[in-house]
Amino acid sequence: MTLPIALLGLGAVIAFAIRKRVQYAGPFTVGCLLAAIVLVVSFDAGTTTEVLGLQLRLSELAQLGALMLLGSLISLALTVWIDEPAYNFFPTALGAGAAVLAVLTLTAPIAIYGALILALLIPVGSFTFQVHRNRSYEAAFRHFSFVLLGGCLGLSALALSGSLPRDQPPATFVLLVAIIVVAFALKLAAIPFHTHAALLAMEVPASALALYFGVLVPTTFIAFAEILTLSGLLPAIVQISKVQDLLLALGTASALGGAFLATGSTELRRVTAYSVIANLGQALVGIATLSGPGIVGAIAIVLVTGAGATQQLLAAGAIERRSGADQPSATVAPLAALAFVIGGFAMIGAPPLVAFPGHFFVELIAFSYSGVLGAALVLSTLGILIAQLRAAIAIFRVAPDHWRVESRPVAGVVGTLLFLALLVGGMQPDGFLRPIAAFADEFIRALRPL
Amino acid sequence: MLMLGLVAVATLAANGAQHLRYMALAFLGVAIAAHLMAGPDISVWQAALSLAAALVTTAILFIAARDGRFGEDPGWRLWVATIVAATTTAAAFAFLRTASGEDVHVSVLGADPSGVTQQAAAFWLLSSGVAILLTARGAVRGSLGALLMLTGTQLLVQLVPGPQFALALMLAWLQIVVALAGAFLIVNERALREA
Repeated sequence: MTLPIALLGLGAVIAFAIRKRVQYAGPFTVGCLLAAIVLVVSFDAGTTTEVLGLQLRLSELAQLGALMLLGSLISLALTVWIDEPAYNFFPTALGAGAAVLAVLTLTAPIAIYGALILALLIPVGSFTFQVHRNRSYEAAFRHFSFVLLGGCLGLSALALSGSLPRDQPPATFVLLVAIIVVAFALKLAAIPFHTHAALLAMEVPASALALYFGVLVPTTFIAFAEILTLSGLLPAIVQISKVQDLLLALGTASALGGAFLATGSTELRRVTAYSVIANLGQALVGIATLSGPGIVGAIAIVLVTGAGATQQLLAAGAIERRSGADQPSATVAPLAALAFVIGGFAMIGAPPLVAFPGHFFVELIAFSYSGVLGAALVLSTLGILIAQLRAAIAIFRVAPDHWRVESRPVAGVVGTLLFLALLVGGMQPDGFLRPIAAFADEFIRALRPL
Repeated sequence: MLMLGLVAVATLAANGAQHLRYMALAFLGVAIAAHLMAGPDISVWQAALSLAAALVTTAILFIAARDGRFGEDPGWRLWVATIVAATTTAAAFAFLRTASGEDVHVSVLGADPSGVTQQAAAFWLLSSGVAILLTARGAVRGSLGALLMLTGTQLLVQLVPGPQFALALMLAWLQIVVALAGAFLIVNERALREA
């Protein structure tokens, strides 16, 4: 199980050495990621191994997550190689891939947290771009600060909860779990901790932004669910409703706030970034219900949202590059514009895409929890729908004289392939939902230990 | 107890330094005092690993500075960070140690098997790091705050039962990546300042 992580880690070092030869670094990166996917899929689910006393386990969710997240990384590396040469991106993608695999397979909460912070820090180098002309330095610095603030506080709270005697007053555990929740909210850019994400959305290169919102944010959410399951804190959370209330409040604020902010903008990157934040809010509500359907829906939402965000941000980048100083328009890159629009279907959870079951489960369980909560989530989805429609209208505002596919239409092709994959997943939802349900079983067992 | 004092003094020195190179040296002092505090409770290899990471971190910051004059004047931020760190440390320590009910005997020079001084140092480093990071204007003090927080986190992780060497290795790598990312941002900040 360590082989794919080692392969990607070693690949990152080699890619760093050859990064300026894009014609070699690009295919090398894609090849390493493909080999890692093949290795992960070839192992049996449940395979375990131990390194220096740390156990790694390839769960069904880890296999599914690796397939989707490394798949997103391949689409990003392909786009950067062919359409948007940025040599720093290749070692970053491989390093982030190794850290993501470590997050998905490690079983010690502190180790998972450490690997997650590593994964979130690696892209700092690919965030800065032409620092004299934009605020990408400020965006990268703010990301660095948020990740380390949340990372160190969360890791410390986790270490404290593991070392303090169990006969603590409830208030101590409330404080520690609240710190862990807020630490994750900082890293997930949940509202009101989203200011760094807003700056990133405007200032950093589209491929780096897609790496963050399409791969690292879903990984952070999965790490959050895994850490809750493995840390032994869940029984305390059940007994003390305050933590559940905090999660519900954060989730609802993000779902509504993200949707509201998305509707207020027609800038493609912002619409995507705020749609992701709104969907993450819905997923947080799903986790907060501490129920099987809520957890299945939450994980399904974040995985599909990651794929949709990758598709939309790559398309947005392609349209912006071809539009130059003009308003982004479908006339310059019709296939990328189409990919952006169909990516919106994944964002709103429209059937028959595989995005639908996640949204359906979470909204259903939210209604059974309280009518107001359910209505808030439906309102959030409506907000995302309006935002996506406005963005689509904005890029298709001007009708071209004749439709001609842009040169090097990587973003468009990748977006179309991702859409088809989500469509096929929607036709066969069992293959997608079964590994998530297996994780939900573990979560529920950890909630009420014998 | 003596090491706790050294950690506090070195943290204040790092916080008050105007030049990145002095800041880096003071951070090395913090890291050495913090890891010596754990004393015989951690293996020689683990201590060597943590100290090697601290040395590499210091070297990275030292090189990123490029000359002895580059840095960031803390100004009033020094006092805000110190006051916030002191009050938060006291609050965190009181809140998280009150229920243990154990008798604690701490000597000035001897080892502390209860881990009280280690926890106090961890809270101090975390509080100082948060205060420095939140008031930082740029990557110089931002990196210092992040590294102090990470050192505090390392002290708390040492108290958790589990595969200590593996966790120490992971945190050592994390420290180096934080230093590299910080140095990258410092270089970019300098480029902006000089433009």
